[in-house]
Amino acid sequence: MLNIARRQLERSWIFLLACALVLGGFEFLLCAMVASVDVEGAFGEMTKFAPPVFRAMIEQTLMGGSPAAVLAFGWNHPVAHALLSAVAITLPARAIAGEVENGAIELVLAQPVSRAQYFGAHVLFGLCALSAVLAAGLLGTAVGQRVFSLNAFGAGRLAELFLNALLLQLAIYGLTLLASAFGREAGRVALFGVLVAVLSYLVNAIAILWSKAAFLKPYSLHGYFEPREILVQGHLAAGSTLVLAAVAAAAIGLALIRLSRRDLP
Amino acid sequence: MNALDVRDLRKQFGAVEALRGVSFSVAPGEVFGYLGPNGAGKTTTLRILLGLVRPSAGSASLFGIDSAAPASRADIGFLPGDLRLYGDMTGDATLDFFARFRPARPPTLRPMLMDALNIDAATLARRVKFLSHGTRQKLGLIVAMQHDPALLLLDEPTNGLDPLVQHAFRGLIAGFAARGRSVLFSSHVLSEVEAVCKRVAILRQGEIVALETIEHLREKVVRKLTARFRGEVPPGLREAAGVTRGEVRGREAMLWVQGDPNAVLRALAAAHVEDLVFPEPELEDIFLAYYQPERRDA
Repeated sequence: MLNIARRQLERSWIFLLACALVLGGFEFLLCAMVASVDVEGAFGEMTKFAPPVFRAMIEQTLMGGSPAAVLAFGWNHPVAHALLSAVAITLPARAIAGEVENGAIELVLAQPVSRAQYFGAHVLFGLCALSAVLAAGLLGTAVGQRVFSLNAFGAGRLAELFLNALLLQLAIYGLTLLASAFGREAGRVALFGVLVAVLSYLVNAIAILWSKAAFLKPYSLHGYFEPREILVQGHLAAGSTLVLAAVAAAAIGLALIRLSRRDLP
Repeated sequence: MNALDVRDLRKQFGAVEALRGVSFSVAPGEVFGYLGPNGAGKTTTLRILLGLVRPSAGSASLFGIDSAAPASRADIGFLPGDLRLYGDMTGDATLDFFARFRPARPPTLRPMLMDALNIDAATLARRVKFLSHGTRQKLGLIVAMQHDPALLLLDEPTNGLDPLVQHAFRGLIAGFAARGRSVLFSSHVLSEVEAVCKRVAILRQGEIVALETIEHLREKVVRKLTARFRGEVPPGLREAAGVTRGEVRGREAMLWVQGDPNAVLRALAAAHVEDLVFPEPELEDIFLAYYQPERRDA
């Protein structure tokens, strides 16, 4: 297993390092912005002239423009989602469909390694990679807080945010891995993963912005990602954790069953 | 215990029946040829033996262990017909990566194989994507053989190898067999199987149509001999032992020879032969020789 995980690291470390640095830098810069700009004043100016729909969105997401709310918004920003989802989609798309497409899986699985071990090595690596990139982002927030003396929230809330964000990305990872277990081309599988992530994000955004669509929120994975509740209110809902963990576990489990039964390559 | 056992193996891909009850075995120290045209089911058989494809019916085992179990692959080496390696890895890293799957079987044969296949350290330091097809094939052979496996499964192993390396490869296979290792050599070229194998199975449309020793195969195969003479075609060629059929067109005679060709060669030697063509038989000729005599006669 370690041999396969090591191979993944050798192949992906530059990509992962780039994602980690950009995410960490982005969250750090957000701290710098909060420290250097009168966020609450700017928030007031923005909401004064904004149409009602956008005003609702800004109020929902920025919670009056407190530093903690703006930093929480940084974790719900499309840039943060894109960087994390890039990892959560690329790795599983390559893990099975990508290896079938490039043909290497035939020689790898002809070695004395079971499909479960092969699968486990990829999932273990995916989990570590997502954790590392996420940790880099959180480190950016933590260092930014320290450097700019923001003291918006403590390490405990960052740990809760880590768990919540990791489970969201693992759910996307799991669904992409499930598609990968059925697929033969990494590109198509990655496209499926992107569609899942984008649709989920948009459905959640629509459910927040439009009261008539609020019923859609439970059907979006991003609806269970709650940086604002965690960082501003200090509360991580157990239900959200359970739903995201269940989706991730079910998708990864089904992917393993499918890989165990399919003919390769 | 046999190195490899296949019993009534069947595989259905949708409406296509890729294997229709294939049975054979490979004994320890045996080099076994698995012959068939493209699409006959050779690769499917190998993939079932490696646990990559699940059989629809029947069984396949390596050293008595069901081929679906990873333990069955502990002491084998495999070269796929369509070899794909990681392009971003160097040759060295590729060999190390595959060697690490068997920590108990170090790659002791690697230096000898590099020498025999004429692949040097500088070549192995390059990334696989920059290597030629032939060099990649050599690398695949080293991956398959470096840990001195008890059973080698080779699917079209001489693809892309130049004649000198093919010769060296045959020597390596002979060495493996001499050390009691078994080899399953899959190919669609009769001559290369003939050069290294003692026994051969011929597969056609998912069925084994012949399971013979090479000697038996040679006796049964009908080969077409074409001779052009400086003068008239000498009489009596058709009556030579082994000639099953003959045609004369001007100064050219075409003779279909089964088994030992010495009698017809002696008959030809008595005349003034200007040119002689006696090619290797095609697989299709062998199928005809075995199972469709009526078509051959027609």
